[in-house]
Amino acid sequence: MTYNKTFICITTCLLIFLCGTYAFSQEPTFSTPTNVTAKDTPNDDGSSITVTWDAVPEDSGITGYKILRNTDSGEFEEIGKQLKPTATQYKDSEIEKGKTHAYFVQAITDSEALVNSQQTEGVIATGQWFHTGKTSLFIAMIILCAAILVSIYLCRNNQDVFVRRIPGLEAVDEAIGRATEMGRSILYVLGLGGVENVATIASMTILGQVARRTADYETPLRVPCNDPIVLNVVREMVKTSYLDEGRPDAYQEENIFYLTGDQFAYAAGVDGMMIREKPAAVFLQGTFYAESLLMAETGNSIGAIQIAGTDSEHQLPFFIAACDYTLIGEELYAASAYLSKEPMLLGSLRGQDWGKIVIFVTIILGVTLELFGINWITTLLQSVR
Amino acid sequence: MLEKIMNMDRRVIFILVALVVIFPTLVPVRMPITVSEPTRNLYDFIETLPSGSTIMIAFDYGPSSLAEPEPMAKAVMQHCFSKGIKIIGMTLLPNTPTLAHKLMRKIAAENNAVYGEDYVFLGYRPGTLQVILGMGTDISSVFETDYENKTVDEIPMMENITNYDQIDLLLDLASGSTTEAWIIYANTRYGVKIAAGVTAVIIAQMYPYLQTGQLIGLMPGYLGAAEYEKLLNAPGDGTIGLNTATYAHLLIIGLVILGNIAFFIQRRREG
Amino acid sequence: MKRQIPLAFCFLFGIAMIFTQFSPHSYSQAVYKEVINWGLIISPFAMVLAVVTLIQTHVTRINLRTEHWQYSLIVFVGMIVMVLIGVPFGPQNSIVEWLYNNVQVPMDATMFSLLAFFIASAAFRAFRARSFEAFLLLATAMIVMIGNVPVGDLVWNKVMSWMPWTDGASWLRQWILDVLNNAARRGIILGVSLGVISQSIRIILGIERSYLGGGD
Repeated sequence: MTYNKTFICITTCLLIFLCGTYAFSQEPTFSTPTNVTAKDTPNDDGSSITVTWDAVPEDSGITGYKILRNTDSGEFEEIGKQLKPTATQYKDSEIEKGKTHAYFVQAITDSEALVNSQQTEGVIATGQWFHTGKTSLFIAMIILCAAILVSIYLCRNNQDVFVRRIPGLEAVDEAIGRATEMGRSILYVLGLGGVENVATIASMTILGQVARRTADYETPLRVPCNDPIVLNVVREMVKTSYLDEGRPDAYQEENIFYLTGDQFAYAAGVDGMMIREKPAAVFLQGTFYAESLLMAETGNSIGAIQIAGTDSEHQLPFFIAACDYTLIGEELYAASAYLSKEPMLLGSLRGQDWGKIVIFVTIILGVTLELFGINWITTLLQSVR
Repeated sequence: MLEKIMNMDRRVIFILVALVVIFPTLVPVRMPITVSEPTRNLYDFIETLPSGSTIMIAFDYGPSSLAEPEPMAKAVMQHCFSKGIKIIGMTLLPNTPTLAHKLMRKIAAENNAVYGEDYVFLGYRPGTLQVILGMGTDISSVFETDYENKTVDEIPMMENITNYDQIDLLLDLASGSTTEAWIIYANTRYGVKIAAGVTAVIIAQMYPYLQTGQLIGLMPGYLGAAEYEKLLNAPGDGTIGLNTATYAHLLIIGLVILGNIAFFIQRRREG
Repeated sequence: MKRQIPLAFCFLFGIAMIFTQFSPHSYSQAVYKEVINWGLIISPFAMVLAVVTLIQTHVTRINLRTEHWQYSLIVFVGMIVMVLIGVPFGPQNSIVEWLYNNVQVPMDATMFSLLAFFIASAAFRAFRARSFEAFLLLATAMIVMIGNVPVGDLVWNKVMSWMPWTDGASWLRQWILDVLNNAARRGIILGVSLGVISQSIRIILGIERSYLGGGD
């Protein structure tokens, strides 16, 4: 009996001890970050390595990640800041070029414990010469450029390239003639674009043509500029136009001047010039923003003939409402070809039309295929980076 | 008479516009507002963010156009502070920091938010493209110090924020073409979610991005600000502005109808 | 030579910049950054030239006592005050901030708010149903305007209460902006983009040279 009691007592104590030992030895286990890989980041200049790992479920108990990278001494040091538990990749942009780097990912648990992943293989980052994400963009550029270049080549000796009538450009001579007859000035506004803006360059080509005519007729041409570089280019350009026409004496440098770089101060300045000087013709050509209507409506109020042109499509309604003629979008770029009738320039316009056909066909094909559930065109276009 | 109506002196129109703008400011009339889907999407997105999340607000409007984006900024900041969402402010325009800093301070004070813990204003750095791309790698490489000359790395709320990966939403409040730049460089290249609040005059530019999902939400001018205020149940400057805009819209509609009636009668008379 | 050298530079830099857009390699990006830096270096010099021309223009006006020459004096007063306070004390100085908040902000806001007046007068003049197309434009503009403000839905819900859906005015406005407006805009954008490509090719290849002055 005593033996039995002693046995039960010892067994119970042993069981309690074992259970306790087992219970206290059971810390919550967390799986290590899996599939941790380090790869040279594609399509970059060789300045980064991307570390990726598998996502974990929301209730995994992981509160964040740390990334560790090997050092020269072979040890690992923490890099960057702690990542969110939803993160599955880290781009290390602070590597030493040409050196092999290895990483491991450290998961932080809600009890502040750290669980290490396996170490990745060593990686050396290298720069790529071609961005593969831009392949479809590159192909599109080649096709469109080829269409334009072939058209320029084919039209180089062809004087009979048809270009539809553009009333805004036809009216340039009328506007200059009117200003000359009235003995008033012409105001030319190049918009708010810098010299790197293609619309500003297109506007300059129209200004060049206008300057040649004003040189002939001795009509004052006033050009208030918004950008200092544009000012200097425009001065040189107008001066050359006057020289080419054999009228360097008629060129007045002070008529081309810097007004201000601020958008609405510029609009106020131009409006003031319109009210005070009452130019007979106003050209608003280039890139415009909210100031477009402020200038166009003031020009309208003084009764000037106004020819506007812009590629800022959101400003077109304002110009159409307030100006006599408006060059819509691409018509602005067609100006130099239209005014000079140069075959090669006209050829480039024909090339643009070929480009449009390519785009139309792509859109129709894309929509049709999409209707049948085939979406490789959409995927291709979406892959452009 | 018909001729006079058709060729109404623009100064008469200006006086009428001035009157319809002044009148509702003095005598406010509350109109029922229908919340559009793009504004609701932005509100819902912020509403579902957990406390402690971070949004970046780009104050890309100048002093000229602040009337529309400022009520939007107020409403969104109020929403964020009430939910414990942290805000990083910055601007791509050189003449905006003073405005934006003042506004952030004001709204933060109203909501008991602490600078450096609940919000921070980084200020302005030149070079739109370089700033947007630079922050994609490391915010502190572009803004070493904030607008108040504090080292960004030492600001408590920036402790765990390196780049766009830690930003849950970028809201661009704009009056120009900056939203496109954010979409092209920050969204396409770094995948940061973008929403916008823009002046009514450029709203048409934004719809293609909304359709493609590149913008997750959009507040159109006063209307957007008023809609957001309605969702917060806190009518403010946006609602007042929308009332004014309503009367101005009605005046223009009335004038256009009047002009057309005169035009038709005259054409009929002329045979 | 005066023409050939700029055209050769234009060709070289044009091709190089296209290449840098497709090549992420550190060498091509170094070229890209270098060109951008050159641009940044040129800007301040151009700014100096701009300030010089600004001073020249206004000094001439004051000297010749041309009409409204007094405005030129205001330009100088504004410029000198801002430079004298802004440059040594920085933008956070209280006087600069005061000038900014009480001079620049209201003046800029005034210019922008003029848009409301100008839009009203331009709309009154432009929206006349002279033809069928003009009528379509007019009708669409009316729908968008009425749908833009709360009164549109208020009227719709009262007058069109027999219709199966509510808030029709704002829905119709949104549909016009999303579908019709976007379709037209995309068409213009495609045309503009092709125009930009064509113009760029002409400039890079030296076919377009009128921006250098003269005819050809």
